[in-house]
Amino acid sequence: MSTTNHYNENVLEKLASEPNNLWKRILIFLIILGLVIWGNTGSNFTGITEKGMNVAKAILNGITHPETLLLFNFTSKGIPMLLLETISIAFLGTLIGAILAIPFAFLSATNIVPKWVSIIFRSITMLIRTIPALVWALIWIRVTGPGPFCGVVTQSIASIGMVSKMYITAIENLDTGVLEALDACGCNLFEKIRVGIIPQLSASFISTAIYRFDINLKDATILGIVGAGGIGFPLTDAIANARWNRVGAFVIVLVLLVIVIEWISTKIRARLAHGRS
Amino acid sequence: MAKNKVEKVPLFDRIFKPEVITLENGHSVARPKSRVPLILAILFVAILIAARATGFDFNILFNRINQLTVILGKIFNPNWSFFPKVLPPLIGTIKMSIVGTVVGCVVALPVSIFASSNINKNKPTLLIIRFIISVVRSLPAIVYAYFFVLVFGLGTFAGSLAIAFFTFGIVAKMLYENIETIDMGPYEAMTSFGANTLESFWTACLPQILPQFFDNCLYCFELNVRNSSILGYVGAGGLGLLINERVGLRQYNDVGMILLTIFVVVMTIDLVNDYIRSKII
Amino acid sequence: MIEFKDVSKTYPNGTKGLQHVNLQIEQGEFIAIIGLSGAGKSTLIRTINRMIDITDGQLLVDGVDVMSLKGKELRRFRRKIGMIFQSFNLVSRSTVIKNVLASNVPDMPWYKTMFGIYSKEQKLRALEALDKVNILDKAYNRCDELSGGQMQRVALARTVNQNPSIILADEPVASLDPIIADVVMSDFARINRDMNITILINIHHVDLALKYATRVIGVRAGEIVYDGPASEVTQEVLNLVYMGKAVPTSTDKVEIEGMVINNG
Repeated sequence: MSTTNHYNENVLEKLASEPNNLWKRILIFLIILGLVIWGNTGSNFTGITEKGMNVAKAILNGITHPETLLLFNFTSKGIPMLLLETISIAFLGTLIGAILAIPFAFLSATNIVPKWVSIIFRSITMLIRTIPALVWALIWIRVTGPGPFCGVVTQSIASIGMVSKMYITAIENLDTGVLEALDACGCNLFEKIRVGIIPQLSASFISTAIYRFDINLKDATILGIVGAGGIGFPLTDAIANARWNRVGAFVIVLVLLVIVIEWISTKIRARLAHGRS
Repeated sequence: MAKNKVEKVPLFDRIFKPEVITLENGHSVARPKSRVPLILAILFVAILIAARATGFDFNILFNRINQLTVILGKIFNPNWSFFPKVLPPLIGTIKMSIVGTVVGCVVALPVSIFASSNINKNKPTLLIIRFIISVVRSLPAIVYAYFFVLVFGLGTFAGSLAIAFFTFGIVAKMLYENIETIDMGPYEAMTSFGANTLESFWTACLPQILPQFFDNCLYCFELNVRNSSILGYVGAGGLGLLINERVGLRQYNDVGMILLTIFVVVMTIDLVNDYIRSKII
Repeated sequence: MIEFKDVSKTYPNGTKGLQHVNLQIEQGEFIAIIGLSGAGKSTLIRTINRMIDITDGQLLVDGVDVMSLKGKELRRFRRKIGMIFQSFNLVSRSTVIKNVLASNVPDMPWYKTMFGIYSKEQKLRALEALDKVNILDKAYNRCDELSGGQMQRVALARTVNQNPSIILADEPVASLDPIIADVVMSDFARINRDMNITILINIHHVDLALKYATRVIGVRAGEIVYDGPASEVTQEVLNLVYMGKAVPTSTDKVEIEGMVINNG
């Protein structure tokens, strides 16, 4: 290698020690490719059937020509009441869930309780999280019977898992310097909790609850599929009966609702995080 | 240089005038009225309305709560012999999740780049792309699954496609939020020595984006395995079909077995993800 | 050679960045630009490689009118001007050598850029550049494992690897502690001497400026108020540049009318 002669030895030596990552990357790529190919085996795609095409056209047609009358129907079957019901389910479900999650979070935070207690409560929340919301709804329906009340109870329980997980992070990130300062001022335990801990946690707890409200609202729209109230049942009913204009109205309202609520919740959470500016 | 901006007084402070506190030395400070009472009042009214709208009733809960304990008792006593029947749809669920996650993520990457305000300086296209992402996000996976089952027929293909849509919505949103926080300094450096926009982006920004992207993909995969178990409800393949059937037959021990399997799988994926994450970040 | 002929820069919001600047800079000079934050030091430096457009006058670099360049020409022109930033501007997740190699990207075909394929020759040149700034041993470490001084040296190596005839440095030592700052400045001086590269540095550390630069330019409110050899910079000159306020001779904090200017 005559071209490399004018470089000094250190440089050449360093080049020889260059780690080689290429084969690693190729391997990872092949693994992912293999997984996708395996995942596609047994997939039933046989090309879109003519019937399928017609359905797709009907759906698109329905969504672009929604049944506007439904928007101004203020009976229990009209969209305004269904929306109110859906929002109410998500609202109450989030509120109760957010409150129920507080003890779980404190009992799982490693800087508050001993490790073994924390492990027990973490596993409980983990179990709660594993059961999908829809399955919770199927279970609760045996208790409350079908209807929006079932949705509220379902969401109250289903929210606990994620909400308490986020609470735990907030609790474990508590700035203990404040408590030290309060100790130095001679505060007792109650005063320390009131002045040192609650102001630190309240903003992130509320922020978490609002975030969960977003998710619950989306979930509340599907709980109706198993009879737990909200807009889900009339929506799936309309799909099943191929009433696409009605489906169109539901879908558009749903999209708008979710986008608006998401926008508002992002604004509120940004304000909670950064203060008024 | 900076013009004196007249600070806008919020509506609340115009209605409820701030209290002015004057110190002994003559200095004064305006203390805005607390918003807490107003917020509590709104919350209270909202609770009343929501309770009416949902038919909230504690009596039902107290009288029939034993039903729940019966069901939960059965769920936590899973029927082990049911496991062989859980396995095939479980593998179907995982397959659906893999394909859906990969397809959704691959589509989300370029789209989210054009949805980041620090890279795409063209406001109209930015807003249009973000709006599309929001719309895709706002529909639940199960609604997609329902549509696709009708169009493509029953089975896992509809499920995979539904998961891909759902994944796209989530990953694209998370990713463009991440991209907006990357350090644009290296990009500036690249342009300072004569690289064009694409070269600068590829060499300076992409290495910062990719780890976030893979992290989001892994998170979404876990979410998908958890969630895709419900897609079977509308016939999109996987475990949901089985859950629906067993709940209908009130075979809660079998349901317990299904849930236990999901639990173990999700835990395993979680562990693997943590390992991969520690490698790439 | 860099020539400013009655150059002015007015920002869209009306701020005057530069006013009637006339300068002549020969190849191989080591110039320190001093002045308060907001005096126009950054603007002055960034007009040279046209990261900022001038609004009046003429700016010639090696006989080329900078404002006449566009698109591909401008990018080719920038190839021979290196730039160093206060915040290093390295991809912290990538390895040191990849950051240095990035300066080859504009000369490479797209598919090589896409997969990050560099030739052995390029790698050797990058390593040599790292050797010149005494940081060869960190070549395969990730940048986020390095200290600030080391990162600035990597940035310097990236620029050297570009083989420029001019290096512009925008407060390169402002985020570094005084000892490391001195080391980095001596790296600049060595490169200036060994490779005959023109170096322009914005700097708040007056002592470092006087120690290493051969020529000092004082900027105040967009105007050049001093231009001469470093050896002739007196307390009077500093008073002029820093609006008559006392300048501590060896500190990185300058306090003016109750306002603390901390390294820009």
